[in-house]
Amino acid sequence: MDPGLRRRDTEFGESNLHQGRYPMTGAALRRANLESLVEAQGATRATPPLLLSADPYFDLAGEEFGRRLLLTTDATGAEHCLRPDFTLPIVQSYIADGVGRPAAFSYMGPIFRQREIGPAEFDQAGIELLAQPNGDIALDQVLTFARAALSIFGVVPHVRLGGVGLFEALLVQADMPDAWRPRIRNRFGHTEALDRLLTRLEAAPDMPREQQPSRDALIEDITAQMVAAGLSLSEGRTPEEIADRYLEQQALDAAHVPAATLKLLRDYLAISGPVLQALTQIEALASRHRLMLGAPIRAIRRHLNGLGEARVTFDASFSPRLDYYTGIVFEMTGANGQVLASGGQYDRLLERLGATAPIAASGCSVWVDRLEAEVAQ
Amino acid sequence: MTGITLAVPSKGRLEELTREWFSQNGMTITRPGGARSYLGAVEGMPEVTVRFFPASEIARELIRGTIDIGVTGRDLIHETSEHGPSAVSFAKPLGFGNADVVVAVPDSWIDVTHMHDLADVASDFRARHGRWMRIATKYITITRQHFAKAGIAEYRTVESLGATEAAPASGVADIVVDITTTGSTLAANGLRVLEDGVMLQSEACLIVSRTADRSADSQTQLETFLAKLGTTAHI
Repeated sequence: MDPGLRRRDTEFGESNLHQGRYPMTGAALRRANLESLVEAQGATRATPPLLLSADPYFDLAGEEFGRRLLLTTDATGAEHCLRPDFTLPIVQSYIADGVGRPAAFSYMGPIFRQREIGPAEFDQAGIELLAQPNGDIALDQVLTFARAALSIFGVVPHVRLGGVGLFEALLVQADMPDAWRPRIRNRFGHTEALDRLLTRLEAAPDMPREQQPSRDALIEDITAQMVAAGLSLSEGRTPEEIADRYLEQQALDAAHVPAATLKLLRDYLAISGPVLQALTQIEALASRHRLMLGAPIRAIRRHLNGLGEARVTFDASFSPRLDYYTGIVFEMTGANGQVLASGGQYDRLLERLGATAPIAASGCSVWVDRLEAEVAQ
Repeated sequence: MTGITLAVPSKGRLEELTREWFSQNGMTITRPGGARSYLGAVEGMPEVTVRFFPASEIARELIRGTIDIGVTGRDLIHETSEHGPSAVSFAKPLGFGNADVVVAVPDSWIDVTHMHDLADVASDFRARHGRWMRIATKYITITRQHFAKAGIAEYRTVESLGATEAAPASGVADIVVDITTTGSTLAANGLRVLEDGVMLQSEACLIVSRTADRSADSQTQLETFLAKLGTTAHI
């Protein structure tokens, strides 16, 4: 909790409220309203423990997120972290209870992350909608929740939409050797890394193909090297895997991504602006390149009505750097550009956490301390 | 309060080279209590207190601002904190302790020559092997920064405080981020530095803390001290 809020809470505190002598004002009132909104979602209120095992976070989000965790070690050497978000423990306990039934969870409370500015403990509120029969309706509820939360703080946000599903649909249809698709998908959302890859592909020289050794000869060679270096042939990368990727790599150097496809990707990724204008540009691009992008574009259009008077932009290159996101993602920012709410659809998350099949999931979180800071401005 | 604190490495080759460097530049560091003492002085400069610290503690204390000047490796400033480089001013490279922090993979990974190959391998490592690619290193901060820049998120670091180059053979990790001067230890262990795998070129430096709280007097003494060594600092 923001220490400032805590102080105000005691000043105007709950006991006064209940005695009805002083109306709540300011921060306490906004907080109570947000609390009511969280309660009003027709969802189970989730209160995961504050102390969680750190491993699932590293497993799911990697070192980049890991460095933001507040870690501690118990007597056995096992690593724990102070709850850095609500989504993971909520989804884990949903999976543990047996997946399949539609479920909705809402939450509000402190989370802990190392940040460049601001205290490491701060409040988040949000919702998680799991295995809902209609993903569109679920995302609408998520967007409505985020808008309502922001309006409690008087914020009319700038909404930035990203299309993970749209990019995946484009990528699967674009003309290129198959092996390049996962390499490009993996860099989506990391502007510099994707730019470097495209630049490399654009510059790929027309090299004459050298005669490659046979796969068997390569495997034999690699196995000998691994044995000499004392490496396990099975625990990590195997000789077959290395040989295959080596040969694939050699083939890729010869199998160019057509210049027209590279231009398509560049043109697509550069599209960013007011949502209707951006989607029209994408439709034009799709028809020029004979791509079927109707379904993912319509999916984005369907959500625009619900966003009301907010300024909505679509940014073709925008995506969280986590590969479990699918469909549509969004960010809502305030006057100074800080992210106040973020979320979207992540149908691959439950699978990544152990579910045996993809399960529809969408949700968002709002940053309570940043919202309060918007009011103060 | 007046006076300034200079921290120098407390033992080994780094201590000798540091004291040699100061004497070549006209300053004699004395250690009256011998090697077991952690307090010293600079002859003829009573305003300077010399402290003998391990090199990693010098980096930490420079960033925290509890000492004014220190001699330590550039790598340790980068590793101790993400904010390390902005918390200090590198006043002068001293011309010794040169070493590179590098990414090295097993020789047998013939398909991996650049960071972008590593990005490809990392991205489907988990799907193939049911775990993330593991990197043994004692340079966790530098690794995270460098890999984030390269767009690689799908890995785990395994902290290694010694003999990092042995980690792939012992099965603790798949690749390493390590410090090396000639690369010969890595090569002897069947590891190869990626062509764009140099993350940081380090050497021993005279470093001034920008976070230390100094009186006007101390500030003047600091400037005088640096001027005698033929340098200045951005503080």
